Amino acid sequence: MNPSHLTTHPLNNTTLRERRNWYIHMCYVRQDYAECLKVVEEELQACNGLCEYPIYVKALIMRHQGKIKESLKFFQAATCLSPHNVLNLKQVARCLFLLGKWLAAVDVYEECQKIGFEDWEIWHNKGLCFMYLKDYDNAIDCFERANDVQRHDATYMQLGKVYQLLEDFKMALRVYKEAIDFSPQNSEILTTLGLMYLSMGENQKAFDHLGNSLAHDPLDAKTIVAAASIIQDNQDMDVALMKYRVAAVKTPNSAQLWNNIGMCFFGKSPQPKYVAAVACLKKALYLDPFEWIISYNLGLVHLKKEQFASAFHFFSSSINLKPDFAATYMYLAITLARLDDFDNSCSAYKKSIDLDPKDSTTRLNYAITLYNNDETEMAQEQFKLFEELFRGGEDDEDVDEEMELQKNMLKQALAAALED
Amino acid sequence: MRDEVDASWLALSRLRRRRFKQCIEGCSRILNESPYDQLVWTMKARALTTEVYVDETELEEEGVAEILLDDNAIASMPRPGTSLSNPKSSSSDHALRPVSSSGRPMTGFSRPGSSSRPMSGMSVDQAFKGNRPGTSRPMTTLGREVRLGTASMVNQSGVFIDVEKLNMRKYAARPALAMVLVEYLLHVEVNPRKALELCSEATQKEGFKSWFWKRKLGQCYYKLGLYRDAEKQLRSSLKDGEMLLTYFDLCKVYLKLDIPNTALDLLKKAGESFREESRVIIGIARIYDMLNDLENSSKAYKMVLEYDAGNIEAMACLAANHFYEDGPEVALRYYRRLLQMGVNNTELWNNLGLSCFHSSQFDMALSCFERALALAADDNEGDVWYNIGLVGVGIGDLALAYQAFKIAVSVDGNHAESYCNLGVLDLRKNDFDSAAAMFATAKSLAPFLFEPLYNLALLMFKRGNLEEAYDNVKEALVVFPEHRESLELKKELMGSLVGLR
Repeated sequence: MNPSHLTTHPLNNTTLRERRNWYIHMCYVRQDYAECLKVVEEELQACNGLCEYPIYVKALIMRHQGKIKESLKFFQAATCLSPHNVLNLKQVARCLFLLGKWLAAVDVYEECQKIGFEDWEIWHNKGLCFMYLKDYDNAIDCFERANDVQRHDATYMQLGKVYQLLEDFKMALRVYKEAIDFSPQNSEILTTLGLMYLSMGENQKAFDHLGNSLAHDPLDAKTIVAAASIIQDNQDMDVALMKYRVAAVKTPNSAQLWNNIGMCFFGKSPQPKYVAAVACLKKALYLDPFEWIISYNLGLVHLKKEQFASAFHFFSSSINLKPDFAATYMYLAITLARLDDFDNSCSAYKKSIDLDPKDSTTRLNYAITLYNNDETEMAQEQFKLFEELFRGGEDDEDVDEEMELQKNMLKQALAAALED
Repeated sequence: MRDEVDASWLALSRLRRRRFKQCIEGCSRILNESPYDQLVWTMKARALTTEVYVDETELEEEGVAEILLDDNAIASMPRPGTSLSNPKSSSSDHALRPVSSSGRPMTGFSRPGSSSRPMSGMSVDQAFKGNRPGTSRPMTTLGREVRLGTASMVNQSGVFIDVEKLNMRKYAARPALAMVLVEYLLHVEVNPRKALELCSEATQKEGFKSWFWKRKLGQCYYKLGLYRDAEKQLRSSLKDGEMLLTYFDLCKVYLKLDIPNTALDLLKKAGESFREESRVIIGIARIYDMLNDLENSSKAYKMVLEYDAGNIEAMACLAANHFYEDGPEVALRYYRRLLQMGVNNTELWNNLGLSCFHSSQFDMALSCFERALALAADDNEGDVWYNIGLVGVGIGDLALAYQAFKIAVSVDGNHAESYCNLGVLDLRKNDFDSAAAMFATAKSLAPFLFEPLYNLALLMFKRGNLEEAYDNVKEALVVFPEHRESLELKKELMGSLVGLR
């Protein structure tokens, strides 16, 4: 039925104005924007622009097309026509928010709250504005009020994000857990929670949640990479590679992904594939040259392959990008020692120890380097420090066999040297 | 002594020794005395022609008018892979391999013609900007021919042949003279209409059996833009005498008609008759390149090298392919070979430097760049500094990188890639306003790059200005429709705009 052919009866003005609202609404809901705009224009002409709903819909369509400024103008026009309609005000505020004018948006939202009833959306959006304004306390307050009115996944996510921005991981974790209780099938929340656990070092819990998330959304690249990295940590390289293959289809240009794939090849236990590892890591570096850990990994691979000059280069670029990671300095020191630059090697060890005085591996390596360069006494000193640290940390289940071996060898060598 | 040498003999000798100017002067002097000396007339025409001769088999520059008003293409909505303006959707990835201003992946060899042709519709603005905005003027209608033609006219004092008064039928009766004359008309006078007249007379005289005249007819039609007639003549010329050059002419016609696959078939057929002819294979490789079919083009280039181990174009293209496919070591070998071949220019040293850097030969890399800088001219110095900047990023020396990009921009004010990278470095310094300005500059200079568009969109999104973010991400997706990150960002933006969240 074409409504333009409807016979019109003489009606009073209000009904005339609203008589085609149903059709506009239908077109809008069907996403038939062209037809919708056409009808809106006709209606606007007929009423000299004094009809609220067509303006409102036109503004919505404008916003869908990304023309936020124009859309704001129309919403404001609609507000002028009916200043007490909360819907209009909410949309005005939303436009302001989308344009990045957060303070103005907050004002309008407060206006809304004066008129209307309790609405979670207003609280939620206000919270978002505060978040962008970096007024985190107010943001948290708003999000909590929003949740009091009505609970929503989106609010939980944002609340958790605020806590993460504040680096209050405990609270963030609590929020996410609450969110999971509320909607246990939201894969996004599951993934976020998994990543939280992962960054806190609780791999098993992280893996459980990531696995859960994958059950709901098996193709999410972020989740796959996170889950596979846990598998990789457990030395099951082939399974991890299988997972990465799925993710690679979705995000072929992700530096993190290629970095992990490279390290999978490097970590394959009986026969590491160094060439493949280097190729993957280089690709990762090509895609994201600012990622220090890729350079660090490349350095490790080259060090293992005894290509010390290249290893030095990668460690030094990694340090340039992230100057406060202790392990890089230690490996740089080892590389320098192998390149016969004893003095610089020592200063690198010292720098590493400065950054992380509790790391036993650095002390052991330092002692070995010192011993190799005939500084037996200093080596003895470092070795003692190492043994103290090592004993302290012996409860950890992951004591490396190779470390044990090196320790014993050095112990004997030092003992022999001191007897002389 | 000189005076005793016969003047016509001297002119002939000069023609053979390619001393065209002197030859022409000598001929003019003789012709002043005896204007009907056919030998001297022939020599003068040959000398004039050879002086301005353009290799017809080479690809040609396309003028602005041809790019904008090209309606010769057979299909207006060609299927992917069957047209130069709609090649296979990128078999290579923008993110891994940079593109030229026309949106095609970079090849290792800069050549005229379709390398400057846009993949999809081009605005007038873009067409007039030329290949590298600011550094080159756009080609005018007939490309290089007109320029050469007018230049030779200036040299000439007085008119040698008054084309309008020529009696074509008379000349057509003398095949030897006619052959010289037609070349003269095509290359010196650039008057294909008159040449066509002569050709049609001559081919009639020969009883429609001479491949030469049919080929020339084809060439004339080609120049007049009558591509279907040209095709007919050239096809029939091939039947009378299978000549390699005719194949190339016909191939050019097919490319004009935008049916590259037919051209490919034709060249393959030519390859059957003319085995071991590297020019045919390189023609095949070029067409594959235009169609973005890098796999097949690499194969063809390799075959070219088997027959002609010194082919610079093939080597450069293979080197570039290997470089972008994670084989900098192999690329390095090709570039070294190019160096041995005697190529010594900025671009080569620059590429050598990059290959060295990516294959971990750091000591060599910087000295290569130094050489590149020493040889650099104004139009490519920016590129070298840009790559030095990339090396700076690679070794984590961001201060060096920043300075190098700055220099690149100061040397070449239109170096969009440098602006984009400066923006990224600004981002790392948390200088968002400057970064946004840099991206915007890069975007206006090079609308064919998706990086500044995506970066700008992301920056705007993070700063909460969703309108600009949306506009930019839409543009980025026009340039690079498969860019995953852009697609994701757009999805997120749509979510915010529709207001479901």
